Amino acid sequence: MSVTRINLTVNGSKEVVDVPSNWTLLQMLREKMALTGTKNGCAAGECGACTVMLNGEPVNSCMVLAVECDGAEVVTVEGLVQDGQMDVLQQTIIDAGGVQCGFCTPGMLISARALLDRNPNPSADEVRAALVGNLCRCTGYIRIVEAVQTAAQASQ
Amino acid sequence: MATAQTKETTYIGVSKPRVDVREKVTGAAVYTDDIQFGAALLHARVKRSPHPHALIKKVDISKAKELPGVRVVVTGQDFPYFTGLYLKDRNIFARDRVRFVGEAVAGVAAITEEIAEQALDLIEVEYEVLPGVFDAVKGAEPGAPLLHPNLGDYEVPNFIFPVPDSNIANHFKVRKGDVETAFAEAATVVEHTFKVPHVQHVPIEPHIAIAQVDGDGNVTLWASSQSPFAQRNLIAKSLNIPESKVRVIAPLIGGGFGCKAGVTMETIPVAIAMKAGGHPVKFRLTREEEFYTNFVRQGLTAKVKVACDKNGKLTAIQNQMWWDGGGYTDYGVNITRAGGYSGTGPFNAPNIWVDSMCIYTNHPVGGAYRGFGMSEVHTGIVQVMSMLAEKAGVDFVDFLKMNVIQEGEKVLTGMTMHKTGIKDCIEKVAKEINWGVKDAPTAPNRKRGKGIAVMWKAPAMPPNAGSSALIKLNEDASVTVMVGGQEIGQGTFTAMAQIAAEAMGVPFESVKVKGPIDTQYSPYEWQTVASRLTWSMGNAVRNAAMDARHKILEVVAEAWGEDIENLDIKEGYVISYASEESISLKDIVVYGIPREGYNGWVGGPIVGSGSFMPSYVTGLDKETGQGDRAVVHYTTGAQAVDLEVDLDTGQLYIHRAVSAFDVGKAINPDLVRCQIEGGFVQGMSSAIFEEMRLVEGVMQNPSFVDYRIATTMDVPAKIDAYIVEAAQDDGPWGARGVGEHPMVPTIPCLANAIYDAIGVRVPNPPLSAEKVYLTMLDNGVVK
Amino acid sequence: MHNPHPGLPELEYVKPASLEEASAFLVAHKGEARPFLGGTDTFVRMRDGFWKEKYLVDIKGLDGTNVITFDPAKGLTIGSAIPMNKVSAHPDVKKNYSLLAAACDTVASYQLRNRATIVGNICNASPAGDTIGACMAYGGVLTVFGAGGVRQEPLATFFKGPGKNALQTGDIVTAITFPIPPKPHSGRYMKLGRNKMSDLSIVGVTVLAYKDAAAKSGYTFKVVLASVAPVPFMAEAAQQILAEEPVTEESIGKAAEAAMQAVKPIDDVRSSARYRSYMVRNLTRQALSEVWQQVKS
Repeated sequence: MSVTRINLTVNGSKEVVDVPSNWTLLQMLREKMALTGTKNGCAAGECGACTVMLNGEPVNSCMVLAVECDGAEVVTVEGLVQDGQMDVLQQTIIDAGGVQCGFCTPGMLISARALLDRNPNPSADEVRAALVGNLCRCTGYIRIVEAVQTAAQASQ
Repeated sequence: MATAQTKETTYIGVSKPRVDVREKVTGAAVYTDDIQFGAALLHARVKRSPHPHALIKKVDISKAKELPGVRVVVTGQDFPYFTGLYLKDRNIFARDRVRFVGEAVAGVAAITEEIAEQALDLIEVEYEVLPGVFDAVKGAEPGAPLLHPNLGDYEVPNFIFPVPDSNIANHFKVRKGDVETAFAEAATVVEHTFKVPHVQHVPIEPHIAIAQVDGDGNVTLWASSQSPFAQRNLIAKSLNIPESKVRVIAPLIGGGFGCKAGVTMETIPVAIAMKAGGHPVKFRLTREEEFYTNFVRQGLTAKVKVACDKNGKLTAIQNQMWWDGGGYTDYGVNITRAGGYSGTGPFNAPNIWVDSMCIYTNHPVGGAYRGFGMSEVHTGIVQVMSMLAEKAGVDFVDFLKMNVIQEGEKVLTGMTMHKTGIKDCIEKVAKEINWGVKDAPTAPNRKRGKGIAVMWKAPAMPPNAGSSALIKLNEDASVTVMVGGQEIGQGTFTAMAQIAAEAMGVPFESVKVKGPIDTQYSPYEWQTVASRLTWSMGNAVRNAAMDARHKILEVVAEAWGEDIENLDIKEGYVISYASEESISLKDIVVYGIPREGYNGWVGGPIVGSGSFMPSYVTGLDKETGQGDRAVVHYTTGAQAVDLEVDLDTGQLYIHRAVSAFDVGKAINPDLVRCQIEGGFVQGMSSAIFEEMRLVEGVMQNPSFVDYRIATTMDVPAKIDAYIVEAAQDDGPWGARGVGEHPMVPTIPCLANAIYDAIGVRVPNPPLSAEKVYLTMLDNGVVK
Repeated sequence: MHNPHPGLPELEYVKPASLEEASAFLVAHKGEARPFLGGTDTFVRMRDGFWKEKYLVDIKGLDGTNVITFDPAKGLTIGSAIPMNKVSAHPDVKKNYSLLAAACDTVASYQLRNRATIVGNICNASPAGDTIGACMAYGGVLTVFGAGGVRQEPLATFFKGPGKNALQTGDIVTAITFPIPPKPHSGRYMKLGRNKMSDLSIVGVTVLAYKDAAAKSGYTFKVVLASVAPVPFMAEAAQQILAEEPVTEESIGKAAEAAMQAVKPIDDVRSSARYRSYMVRNLTRQALSEVWQQVKS
């Protein structure tokens, strides 16, 4: 099986990585770059725990081949903290009580960040629709939806 | 025994922020799969049985061993010892017989996960297929194929009652009064048989464990675990080595809900690592394996018969339960016991008959699941009470208030009920949901209804399940609390920090409670299950904090020549009410205090220790289920919903859910509300969507594609959570647990509301749109 | 026993420079190579061991696959590699083909729709494909680059059975094209899943209606049904009733009954055939009523 050298930007850093052709973006992030904030929950594009931003849009990183990411720009949950400052969503999800076990949280935050980037003032229904691909078994979702709306208001 | 306190508190009953969240929102939190092991790491995969029931005639691993990259192949022949949390009926790998589809037959470790996977195809297993048991009721009948012919020889604690030469792994009985006469003389009798399907826990983090064995045979296991100490014990048993040779390290866990308690897959990497020459071996379940090889919530068939007098006062309760235990019931036998000793639900009647039987079947293995049998039991008992109330012409809320268990009454096992706020819970949810008022539907093609349900649940555990805690003081006067209970999302580290801060008199912010739990360094905790930590571990932490506090005050008393009774610790300072002196802990908790004129020193590094174990739980008579005190306590509560049924599709629209639980004392009210909300949604999800579709033992829907759980779009806009506090006499500040309870009443609550809406009962979950629609169709509600 | 690989099995990733090269590779490695777009189905089936091809040929970015264009005279062309979110957010799609945008938004989750494509959805030929109904109702035609050159494949004859379509080895769908739709028109996609959103459809009913002087009733209604037959199909009897009889609550009910009679659903893990049948009737009636309210005013 071939190994391909790709160039990409991850959380603002330029990277050169050799990846086997059957590796997913998720595997590359976790196993080559130790960016373990992105979680493996199903490897089938269903749970959303592995959601990252690929060229500005959220994707299930288990559903993208690493070799497809040559030249791409990737942002993971680790990239939401900039210059030591958390994203407003990270604070509002804490304040709302939207974190329990925390395993869905990184993917949830990426989906929410992508939503606010494209729709700075979403309704509760729009937030719910944007997060439908991020399964959470602990919180019951309501506080997470509230946290996204609070973040939207805080950013206005 | 700690006693409830009434004095003013600083950190108890206060919604302090969680201590574990910053790392969780930044991706820095370390879960088991995040630990990096480098190039030495081997990856394990498991050869699984495709048959629900078969004899193993031959396992040939020779070809698999030859595959380049494969390092270890093991089978059941390598590991002859039995293990199990209650009933010791399991081996690590099947030896002579497989009893469920997906059972481990052989294990492989290779340099990549994919090579290990390829090696599985090279393992040849010859089976002789046997007839299976796929229905618990039939499995209990004489003549059913026997799954465990040696059941009578298995090691079992004295409160589990297997029936040798049958598939009945435990038969728990309650016999009180005379139900037959009561039924004959009753004004109203209702009987109904309920079926609850198998469901899965679905933590978002699948099971994962990494094991390493050194040259002296010392085992280290890193696992996503609710039970590092129980796992140490069970793994040692299964390998026939002393506990001290096993070290379990449990980092943060991405959801457990019971399936990461006891032992499921964790012994497998250990077994493989024993032959891996010091290499660490990682084993991670795929999501699909998570569905059908992991512990499941057992299926239940419950035949419930109840009676009341002309006023609606209960006279008799009979509940006969057949639990579908699966191929092994090492944990399931105690769910059956819990189902039995709580088999009336929170209802009181003079005449009671309960049979709770755990039946071996060729289905996936039953284990703990949030509620530990109570969701299943309440599905039947609460619905049947609702039917009885209607038939007797009594409003259900009035019926509940008349018949729920009260302080001072004897519960079904003979124990005297302690103080309970269940009536307050009922009144609260009835008021909030506007009980008795029929609200109009929001659209012409919908019908609207309300439902209410009550619940109780006791921690289900051995009578002597213990907790312990250590507290050490650091140079900067910060306080490190060491515990063996796990942070599984419920917020226990935060609650323990509050308890330690309150008991010691130090600022909350100065207290650190952190994982990983490590059996080598952390103090003992039985398991993070049963909603027992706030109460049991909370007592241990409180005792440890009081111990540390006392040691500090002793030092200061000696140094200052004061009576210890005049000293106190407030916000990190020792103060004297007599001399009005004060001194910062920072100056004294590690280095001590110099005597006057530096004539020597008093004190030294302060370490406090505390433990807690209930000492009062008694056994129950095998034939009558009677005894002084079956359990430590019952947490009670009530739930109500207001929903609509879409007449075109059968879909449910839940407008509002209201819950109230008596938690004794909420250490952190907001975290309690988080449990109540999340628990309702998990209960709702299991009630509406979830079912393991088992056909001849094969799960038909082992993926998120076809095992649906609630998403953001399925939950009500608002879930109201109310806290009732009737103090627990031996809880820290009166607290008792509430982690599991919020999902217990949800199935009957929704079923009652659907009935109220459409006038036809859909008794058995899942209360899917399809089932609701077809029930309406078959009963003429729609055409 | 369903026991997929933990990750993707061993495979080779092929990124051809041109359609010609891609097609030639697929022909040369017949049975061993498969074109892929977003991969959202491909990767799942490869993990499952259901597809065992050695080569995955990435056709994203090849000539014409990456553009979406609207010509007010000719219509809409969507390159095969355009993810669904780009389609549903495109102003010309929203304005002129709103039914297609709405159908896209019902597929799985937002993050999956950043990879999933309409052409991929069509080529999988799933009986449950959510966007297929809208594509059929709008008269979609596939542009196929194959060994014999470029050809057009109308959707009406494209589906041959569950997972089976009219493509041959070496064929690559580069785009789907839609004519200018009738103005004004009204469309509705009613999707019923087990969850309120994100599930596969148990039943998918697509309805599109517009004023049509050629029809006896003065209106044309198109009704496409998914998940209730081996392939998505036009419910012609239902369409005919509403073309010939005055459109009323009664004739809509009759058309919905006709739709129900036309389906051949199966029992599976998602739903019983019986429930599917009734849902076809009820959702078709709802969808027809809704579009009728809009199109008549």
